[in-house]
Amino acid sequence: MTYLFQILNGLGLGMLYFLLAVGLSIIFGLLQFVNFAHGAFYLLGAYLTYEGVERGLSFWVAMPLAALVVAGVAGLTERLLLRRVYKLPHTFHILVTVGLALVVQETVIIVWGPIGGNVAPPEALGGVMILGDFVYPEYRLFVIGFTAILAAGLWWLLDRTRLGAIVRAGSESPANMALLGYDTHAINTAVFALGAGLAGLAGALAAPIRGVEPFMGVEALGIAFVVVVIGGMGSYAGALAAGLLVGIAQSLMATLWPEGARLVIYLGMAGIIMAMPRGLFGRA
Amino acid sequence: MRDRRAFLKTSLTAGAFAASGLTLPGLLRGARAAEGPLVIGAPLPISGAFAANGKYASLGAAFAAQEAGSVLGRKVSIADIDTEGKPAPAARKVQEAMGQGTRLFAGGILSSEALVMGKEVTKGDGVFITTAGADEITGSDCNRGTFRWTVPTFGAIAQTVRPLIAQMPQAKRWYTITPQYVFGEGLLTAAKAVFQEKGVEHVGNSYHSLAEKEFSGYLTNAIAAKPDVLLLLNFGSQSSDALRQAVSFGLKKRMTIVLAWASGLEQFEALGADLCEGVYFGAQYWHGIDSPLNKALVAKVRETAKMTPNYSFAGSYQITRLLLDAAAKAGAADGPAVIKALEGLRYSGLTGEEEIRAADHQVIKDYYLLKGKAKSAMKDKDDFADVIQSGKSFLSPEAAGCKMA
Repeated sequence: MTYLFQILNGLGLGMLYFLLAVGLSIIFGLLQFVNFAHGAFYLLGAYLTYEGVERGLSFWVAMPLAALVVAGVAGLTERLLLRRVYKLPHTFHILVTVGLALVVQETVIIVWGPIGGNVAPPEALGGVMILGDFVYPEYRLFVIGFTAILAAGLWWLLDRTRLGAIVRAGSESPANMALLGYDTHAINTAVFALGAGLAGLAGALAAPIRGVEPFMGVEALGIAFVVVVIGGMGSYAGALAAGLLVGIAQSLMATLWPEGARLVIYLGMAGIIMAMPRGLFGRA
Repeated sequence: MRDRRAFLKTSLTAGAFAASGLTLPGLLRGARAAEGPLVIGAPLPISGAFAANGKYASLGAAFAAQEAGSVLGRKVSIADIDTEGKPAPAARKVQEAMGQGTRLFAGGILSSEALVMGKEVTKGDGVFITTAGADEITGSDCNRGTFRWTVPTFGAIAQTVRPLIAQMPQAKRWYTITPQYVFGEGLLTAAKAVFQEKGVEHVGNSYHSLAEKEFSGYLTNAIAAKPDVLLLLNFGSQSSDALRQAVSFGLKKRMTIVLAWASGLEQFEALGADLCEGVYFGAQYWHGIDSPLNKALVAKVRETAKMTPNYSFAGSYQITRLLLDAAAKAGAADGPAVIKALEGLRYSGLTGEEEIRAADHQVIKDYYLLKGKAKSAMKDKDDFADVIQSGKSFLSPEAAGCKMA
């Protein structure tokens, strides 16, 4: 019975990890851009939700608003800064985005202080679901359901719509797209804003579970990279499968071998890199 | 957004101090050393998972330096050293600081980093005073140069678990969640000994790594064990995360939650009153302590920095002040002289009358048991908890295994 609950718990964690990683995966897959500032967008999403709720906004307003603001900030950053380094080697991507992440983190400390804060879950979801001897927070159940719907919507958007086709074509062959009259710069900005906005949304959703603190972005970035590497760079299905895999493995390990709960994630990643260098669903 | 202006303002002051410290090394060498400023190294986790504690501690050190002004005719200055909360960078950076002439160090929030720094500083004939918790620091790993202000893990458990067992005789089943490093092990060992002595059943323990942020899996284990009391043995943001997630799992309604080593006011601020209500917290320091030095500090910090000193701030203030007072008393700022002045020193400290035991360099002071109160019962914005008991519990130097070389 404990294992069953660890799997349920892992599912909840995994969906959050998916949401965190899918933006990173999209940005890498479509722009070939390594974004070390991804955790900073997650951090920003969480803090904006915190600020909104502190100012009396309902969580249901603060959460999507935070994600939209993060997407806007990311779009602007892409236009003003990141666009200039796309053509440079990956090391430059890392240099610029790590710098950006540090700037965001220190700004958060200056604005909100180093301590962090708590975001109460919305009142309607503040309780727990009781199943025999076990309990599970209603808010975490909501996150599972909400993220599942979001995942389906995202897949539909990128795989089944004209917009998705344009975005994918833009990444495959920007020159041809430009010849066809599409503004590839605008496509890149939109893709980056979408990816970062998803990180912001993950931060907003995580805030009632984890609270907010200025260093939460660093941990999130680590998890996002693990999920993307296991799932395969740029693979949407990979991010979902790997997110769930990591979440469930981490949760089950808490019962099986608690000391190794985190170790197993990184060992798993190392194993996948050796056996399948492109990840579970990586494109050739 | 509370206190952010105050934090920014105080940060700038601290920054100025730190910057002045960074320019010093050259001055400290050779004949001009005596004329230069008196530098206190503050090795603290300024980045990483425990950075919130480190940053406040840095402010506390800067405040002590600012208050002292000059000692032995030399302007006091703080050099911040970012240990990242990890033993390896901590040891390396302390070595570098010693290479540049610094001999007096006040810092080390995590036990793992404090243990290695104490050894490094002692090797170089310096003095290191810390607020870290593991028994070993003034126990089996004690040494000439290391002093500790805080009550170690043994006393923290004695002053929290013992009174709560007495208060709740019906609570017979305890579950623990423990970070797997020297500090967590210390608390767990002490707790197990008390459980055994008092006939309380230890129904389970979950270990977790020092990098863990997600506690739902461990909490599921705890729920399965059906305890009456959940005892959290982690520190800083990890204990905040564990408590926050425990409350979201509805555990506050099902069992008593105890956090053996809370990080004080900063933790209450981060969690908020609703979450902390009814939870028990062990604490090294509380701004409400009725002692002359504490009252003076609280009034002064509130007036100048528009904030209330929390544990990280106050602990760091106290240990920096101790080094400066000892240097003044000794009439010299070299390691052996300061060590001599500190050994056996009785002084009026933040928690009242405090004494540094010469045999193991442990400060003898009170530890506090707090209970979070309801938001409606708070008299001011910092009044998160009532002190329900305090006292001194220490192993003797022999029992702690200290053999001073």
